[in-house]
Amino acid sequence: MSKNKTATDKPGKTGKWTRRAFIGAGVVAGSALVVGVAVRQGNPIDRLSPLLTNGENEQLLNAWVKVDTDNIVTAVIPHVEMGQGVYTALAQMLADEMDADWNKVRILEAPADMQYVSDSIARDFLAPDLDVPAIFEPTVTGGILELAQAMGLQFTGGSYSVRATGQRAMRTAGAAAREMLVAAAASEWQVPAGEITTADSMILHAGSGKSEPFSKFALAAAEQSLPAKPMLKSPENYTIMGQPKARHDIPEKVDGSAVFGIDAQVPGMKYAAVRATPVVGATIESMDASTAKTMPGVLQILNMGDFVAVVADGYWQAQQALNSIDTKYSKSEGDSLDQDALFARYATHLDEAGDDGGDMETETGDVGKGFADAATKVEAEYKVPFLAHATMEPMNCTAWVRDGKCDVWSGHQAPVNARQAAADAAGLPFEDVTYHNAYLGGGFGRRSESDAIIMATRIAKATGYPVKMIWSREEDTAQDHYRPSATSRFRGGLDKDGKAVSWDNIHTHLFDPKDAPTVPYYNIASHKIRKVDVPTQLRFGPWRSVDHSQHGFFIESFVDEMAHAAGKDGYAFRRELLAGSPRHLKVLDTAAKMSGWGSALPEKHGRGIAFVPSFGSIVAQVAEVDMSGAKPKVKKVYVAADPGFVINPDGFTAQMESAIAYGLTAALYGEITLKDGKVQQSNFHDYPMLRINEMPEVEVALINGDHKHLGGGGEPGLPPIAPAVTNAIFAATGKRIRELPLSKHSIA
Amino acid sequence: MTTVRTFACLTVFLLAGCSADAAPGPVEQIIVREPGAAPVATAASAATNNDPASALIAEGKAAFANCAACHTVEKGAANGVGPNLFGIVGRAAGAVTGFAYSDALKSSGITWTAANLDSYIADPAAKIPGTTMVAGAIADSAKREAVIAYLESATAN
Amino acid sequence: MIKLNVNGQSREVDVDPATPILWVVRENLEMPGTKFGCGIAQCGACTVHLDGKPIRSCSTPISAAEGKSITTIEGIASEDGTLHKVQQAWIEAQVPQCGYCQSGQIMSATALLQKNPQPTDAQIDAAMAGNVCRCGMYNRIRQAIKAAAAIEQPAAQETVA
Repeated sequence: MSKNKTATDKPGKTGKWTRRAFIGAGVVAGSALVVGVAVRQGNPIDRLSPLLTNGENEQLLNAWVKVDTDNIVTAVIPHVEMGQGVYTALAQMLADEMDADWNKVRILEAPADMQYVSDSIARDFLAPDLDVPAIFEPTVTGGILELAQAMGLQFTGGSYSVRATGQRAMRTAGAAAREMLVAAAASEWQVPAGEITTADSMILHAGSGKSEPFSKFALAAAEQSLPAKPMLKSPENYTIMGQPKARHDIPEKVDGSAVFGIDAQVPGMKYAAVRATPVVGATIESMDASTAKTMPGVLQILNMGDFVAVVADGYWQAQQALNSIDTKYSKSEGDSLDQDALFARYATHLDEAGDDGGDMETETGDVGKGFADAATKVEAEYKVPFLAHATMEPMNCTAWVRDGKCDVWSGHQAPVNARQAAADAAGLPFEDVTYHNAYLGGGFGRRSESDAIIMATRIAKATGYPVKMIWSREEDTAQDHYRPSATSRFRGGLDKDGKAVSWDNIHTHLFDPKDAPTVPYYNIASHKIRKVDVPTQLRFGPWRSVDHSQHGFFIESFVDEMAHAAGKDGYAFRRELLAGSPRHLKVLDTAAKMSGWGSALPEKHGRGIAFVPSFGSIVAQVAEVDMSGAKPKVKKVYVAADPGFVINPDGFTAQMESAIAYGLTAALYGEITLKDGKVQQSNFHDYPMLRINEMPEVEVALINGDHKHLGGGGEPGLPPIAPAVTNAIFAATGKRIRELPLSKHSIA
Repeated sequence: MTTVRTFACLTVFLLAGCSADAAPGPVEQIIVREPGAAPVATAASAATNNDPASALIAEGKAAFANCAACHTVEKGAANGVGPNLFGIVGRAAGAVTGFAYSDALKSSGITWTAANLDSYIADPAAKIPGTTMVAGAIADSAKREAVIAYLESATAN
Repeated sequence: MIKLNVNGQSREVDVDPATPILWVVRENLEMPGTKFGCGIAQCGACTVHLDGKPIRSCSTPISAAEGKSITTIEGIASEDGTLHKVQQAWIEAQVPQCGYCQSGQIMSATALLQKNPQPTDAQIDAAMAGNVCRCGMYNRIRQAIKAAAAIEQPAAQETVA
C-alpha cells in the first residue's frame, strides 16, 4: 500500500477523496448534528445519510457502521441476503473488530446507491486515506480490484461477501470506528488512547475507572481523523468471529413476516402475467386476445413485441386470461435447434480443434513429450446439460412509472444494476429511479440478471399505474439464463509407476471463474487446457458455482478414471497428486478419514471421493451410495472444507448442506433440453427437485487453514458432489457415468 | 464486476433494440378497462340457465378449477402434470398417449365409469395405491357428481 | 360473497369461486406469508390448513373453503405472540436459508405433528416430501420436527382443527 501514496490534499479530477474530504464532510445540511464520515466531497452525505439514518439520534461513523443514542451499532451491509447468512457473517466481522456488544448489533442493507458502488469508493477507502495492513493486500491493484468486484457494484455472488467485503471493508471499518471512538474518549478524558480499552460497546479506562457507552462518544468520534492503519485483531483475540451466531434473518422467516420481492405492496397496484416468445430472439407476429378481453378482472392486454402481458385486478385472473391468448411467433434462427444437434455442434467444434486447436487457457510443461513418454494413456469425454436455477420464488418485479419518476420493488443480487436497468427501460435518469430491494427467495445467480426488472418497468410504463408482474413457474423454467450445456474431452498420461505426467483438456465455453477448468493444485508435470466457443441462442447466466459446476464433474471424474487406469485407489492417487501441498492434503485426508475410507461396505454400496478448490476455499467430499435399489440412493456425504477461517461455523455448515442438495439435484435430475429451439421443461414435474426423502446425511468438518486469506462459502460445497457420487457409483457397479444427469442412465 | 455490468447493459440493449432511450413500448395495447372502473357484466355471469342438466355441467365446470392446475379437458389440449381428460368417461385407465402414467394406474385394469371416477376422485390413493395423483381429491360428493357431469359433457362434444 | 374463516376470524371475499385459495389469501386478504411456488401442487410453498389438514392452496379453489377454517402461517402462533413449537424448533435448528419455502414447510410440519405427535423418519418423509426446499435444508427440517415433537405444547397453541 505504501507505494500508492499519491493523494493530494485537493480533490483531483478522478474524484479521489482527500483525507479532509473523507472525514470532514459529515454535517447534514440544515441540521446541527454531524452524522457521518466516509463520504465523498461534493458532500453527498446530504443524500446518503437520510437513506441510512433515521435522523437526529444516529451517528454515521463511516459508510459501513452507525451508532445511535441507545448504543445500538448498525452494520451497513452492501450485499443482499438470499439465505447465505451474509448479513450475520459480515456483521460479526465488523462487530468483532469494533468490540461491539453482539446483542446490540443491528443490520441494514445498504441502499442501491452509487456511494456503495463506485470503484473509487473501494480505492479511496483503501488508499490514500486508509492503509489496510499489507497482509490483506497481495497487491494494491489486485486488492482494490477484488474489493471493487464485491462492493464495487454492490453485487452479491462469486462467494465474495465474506472474503472480500468482510475481510477488507467490514473489519477495517469496525476497527477504524473503534479507534475513532477511543480517540474521542481519550481526548475528552485527557488520558492516553493506549490506556483505553473497549468491550461490549463500552469504552473503559481502568486507571480512572471511567466507562461510557460508544454512543456517548459517537458524535465526537465522527470528528476524529480516520486512522491511517486501523489495527485488526489476530485470531486469538476474536470474540465474535468464529462463533456460530444465530442468523438475524431467521425469526421473520418462520412467521411469514419476511418480505420477499413478490410480497411488495403498493397502493393501487395491479397484477401482470407474462409469456415471452418461446424461442429466444423471435418476436410476436400476432396475438388473438378476443377471449381474454371478455374475462373477469382483465384491465389491459399488451403485445410488447417480445412478450405478451395481461394486466388484471388479480394475478390469477391475469394468468387465466393469458392462457386464453393465442400467439403466433416469427421464424427465428434458433427454431431448428435441439439438444442432440447442439451436442453434435459441440463435437464438430471440438473435432476441428483437435489436439492443438482452440483457445489456450493454460499450458505448463511439454504435453506432447508427456504423452510420448507415457506408459498408459487415458481418454474420456464428458457431457453436462443446460440447467435452470429454479429459485423457489419465481421471477417477479413490481414497478411504478409516473411523473418522470420510477419506483421498482424486487429481490436482486445487484441492486444497483437493477436500478440502472429500470432507468434504462423507463427512459429515465438513474437519479429518478428508486429501487427497493427485498429478501431473495433464492438467488443462485439467477437474480443477478435484470430481465424481469426490465419487463415489469416496460409494463408499468405502458399502464401508468403500479403493476406487480409475476412469472408463472412455467415461464421461470423456460425463460431462464441457463448454466450452459457443455462437453469436455480429456487425454491423460501415466508413467510406468502409475503417476500422472500429462493432462490435456479441451472443453466448450468459458464463462467464470476463469480458473474453473484448471488444476494447478495437482502436481502433474505437463498440462494444457483449451476451450472452444460454440454459439447457441440460449441465454447463459451464472449458476451456483458457475463454471466449477461442470468442471468439478469433468476434472474429478477424469482423475478417478486415471486412478483406475493406474490401478490405484482414488484417494491414494489424489494424495500423490497433492504431495507437497499440506493444506490441500489435510482437507482430502480429513474427508477420507471421516468416511472410514477403505473400510468394508454392504454389497452394491460404493464410496467416491472428489476434491475441488474453488472461490478461495478447499473442499473434499466423500459420497456413500447405495445401488441396490431402482435408483441410486446417496446415503451420506462427508465434507471437509477449509475456507481459511470460518466466520460463522453453523452458517458455513449450512452452506455446505445447501450446496450438496443443489448440486445433487442437478446430478440426479437436472436437465433442460431444447426441441425446435424451445425449452421443453416447464415445472417441477418435468424439472424435478431433490426432496426430503432423497437428502443424504451430511457431516461437515471445518478447517481454519489460513486466517489471512478467506474463501467463500456459498458455492464451494457444490462442485465436488456430482463426481463424488458418480465415482461412488463406479466403485459400486463398475459403471462409469460420463454424462449427467443420472436419470438418463439405467444403472441400478 | 465489469462483466456483470456489461451483461446487464447487453440485456437492455438486446431488448431495447437500437433505442438509446427507453426499452420499446407496446406493439399493441388493448385497454379493456381503467383500474377502479366497474367491470362490464360478462355474458357468462349474466346468463341464466333453467336446464338442470346444463346447470350441473356448469357447476362442474366451475368446480373443475380444483383440477385445472394439472388437467386439461379440451379435445387435443396438451397433457400437463396430469393427462388430458377429453373423452375420459367410459375409457380405460392409462390410455392417453404421451402421458407417463404410474405403473399402478396403467396396470389397474379400471374403466373410467362414473362410479369409478367418483371413488377415485374422492380418494385417489385409496382407489389406486401408487398413483401419482397426489392432489385434487374432492371430498364433497355433490361436487364430484358435477365434475363428472362436466367430464361427460366433454366426452359428448 | 364467499364467507370464510381465516385464522379464527370471519372474512368475506367477493371473488370468482374458482380462484385458488392462495391468491385470495395473498391478494384479497393481504396475508402474503403463504407463497406461490409452482401453481400445480408440486412444491408445497403454498401449504395452508383447511380444517386442520394440509392442502396446496395454489390448486384448491376458494369455493372449497366456504364454511371451513383456513389456517395460514400468520395464524399458528398464540394470540400473545408466543411462537408455535414448530416455529421455535425452526429457529433453534436455524432451518431457513432463503426462507421462501418455509411457510409451507412449517404448515406441513405442524399438520404432521398434530396428526402424529411422534413421527418416525419414514413418516416425516411421507408428510414432507411434497415440500421442496431449494436451499436443501432437509436435514435441519427433520431435526427441527423431531425437536418440536419432544416439546410439550399447550393445547391452546394447536392449530384450529
